Amino acid sequence: MATTEVTSEVIGSVWKVEMSEGDSVAEGDLIMILESMKMEIPVEAPVAGTLAEIKVKPEDSVEEDQVLCLIES
Amino acid sequence: MNFDDMLADLKAREDKARAMGGPERLAKREARGLLNARSRIDTFIDEGSWLETGLLAISSIVPEDREKTPADGKVAGFATVGGRRVGVVANDFTTKGASSSATNMKKIGHVKRVATERGFPLVFFGESSGARMPDNMGAKGMGVNLGHDPQQYVRNRESPWASAVLGQCYGSSAWYTCLSDFSVFRKGAIMAVASPGLASFAIGQKVDAEELGGWKLHERTTGLVDRVVETDEEAIETIKTFLSYMPSNCNELPPEAPVPAGSDDGPERILDILPDSRKRGYDVKKIVECIADKDSFFEFKPRFGRTITVGLARLGGKVVGFLASNPMGKAGALDVAGCEKATRFTVMCDSFNIPLILLVDTPGFVIGIEGERQKAPGKIMNFMTALQMCTVPKLSVIMRKTYGQAYLNMGGGRNSDDVAAWPTAEISFMDPHFATEIVTWGQDASEETKQAIRDQMEKDNSAYGLAEIYGVQAVIDPRETRRYLIQQLDIHQLRLSGGIGKHRMSAWPTTY
Repeated sequence: MATTEVTSEVIGSVWKVEMSEGDSVAEGDLIMILESMKMEIPVEAPVAGTLAEIKVKPEDSVEEDQVLCLIES
Repeated sequence: MNFDDMLADLKAREDKARAMGGPERLAKREARGLLNARSRIDTFIDEGSWLETGLLAISSIVPEDREKTPADGKVAGFATVGGRRVGVVANDFTTKGASSSATNMKKIGHVKRVATERGFPLVFFGESSGARMPDNMGAKGMGVNLGHDPQQYVRNRESPWASAVLGQCYGSSAWYTCLSDFSVFRKGAIMAVASPGLASFAIGQKVDAEELGGWKLHERTTGLVDRVVETDEEAIETIKTFLSYMPSNCNELPPEAPVPAGSDDGPERILDILPDSRKRGYDVKKIVECIADKDSFFEFKPRFGRTITVGLARLGGKVVGFLASNPMGKAGALDVAGCEKATRFTVMCDSFNIPLILLVDTPGFVIGIEGERQKAPGKIMNFMTALQMCTVPKLSVIMRKTYGQAYLNMGGGRNSDDVAAWPTAEISFMDPHFATEIVTWGQDASEETKQAIRDQMEKDNSAYGLAEIYGVQAVIDPRETRRYLIQQLDIHQLRLSGGIGKHRMSAWPTTY
């Protein structure tokens, strides 16, 4: 089983988390939405699998390359 | 000496030169998964096409080095890649760290001169420790070794240059990488002015090699390299891909390729990628991939200046350069790094007769102290000047936002040969939210009044407003973009000069 780290592309904050730990995801599914420079930045699943862990919650600040969640596949 | 002895002597000399720094050093590299100078060349070129120059060159400065400097540490010659002529310089790190000295600098000079004057690409496989010691020391060392070629570091972009950073790159390997039109960096390599050891010695504290010149620094902070890869083989393949888009020289057109099946299916996906909400970001690379010929987009500097995505691709089989605002990076607002990246790419495309496609979704320039400290106004003007000096066809598509000076920088008005807009386009001087604050500045305006002003401003932002005064030439369904651009490319091809631009920026710098 491989674990994929889903990282933030931007510096910003978490606006909405659209999924829960344990959910199964398909590639391209929307996991959460960040907010950066007044723009909503979608975070999509890079691979299909199970959302093993979500490491952030709404209103958390995030850095570029910060791990947001883990997908096991 | 009879002929047999003579020829045996020649063969022995050649074999010795080809053995580089000896089996032990070569084996050590192989064990680390690294190719050597000659295997890099073999991997790169068409089989059987190698013609070496300077195989029997050796050190001409230090007598004891005569036996220890096969090919004087830099392997140079000519070959074909994909049937097309190239010049190659590969540094042999197993010979004196491929350090630069009198003889090998003559070899580089020769290959560079021939490639430039005869009009074909030049490729460097970089891995060198810098100037050879003690050859370059003292007044005599300097006088004998350096300064004999007053054009040594001049780029007039007569033919494309590509570099691979494949190990420690100090001195000439770093210089030629920075002078190249395209560079690729293998993880684990280091590129810097001088080695970490020398840097530590100079400043009296330990300097970490990766921090001084590792891949993360150059991929994300300096932007001095275009692509980062894991292996030597991947680096070589990446250079071949780059060359496949480039003409052999500035007086030729880039090579065309057949249009892959399925290329016309891409545009249908644009409406799935483009969000309904104007506030929602998206990765513009996906839009570029929908418009370009299938699988043809070759991105430059994906992790640097991410407010704009740039790269070469094909449209209807013809090579184009895409400059596309990326809302995933700072909402697509152009920052200093984005301007540097856009300037360099524009100059390269213009120098090699590659039309530009600008895809626009930018709320303007990033404003604030950080950008001003990095000379933002100068960088914005460099990009603007480059775009206006450009003589290859320029086509612009306004996808969503285009505001203020960024409207001009991204090809608005007469800054492109043709501007089309999607119905989702918004055109104005600044975001209505900020404009409302400015026009009501110092007034005790109610939120209702401000909202009314904002609503009016938003209405006046539409693509149709610009179409009515012929500020855009067409408003198009996003799914029509590929077909529209292919037709426009045909209309705007430079028939009077056979497709060749004026190259007014050919001597512009390669770093901004």
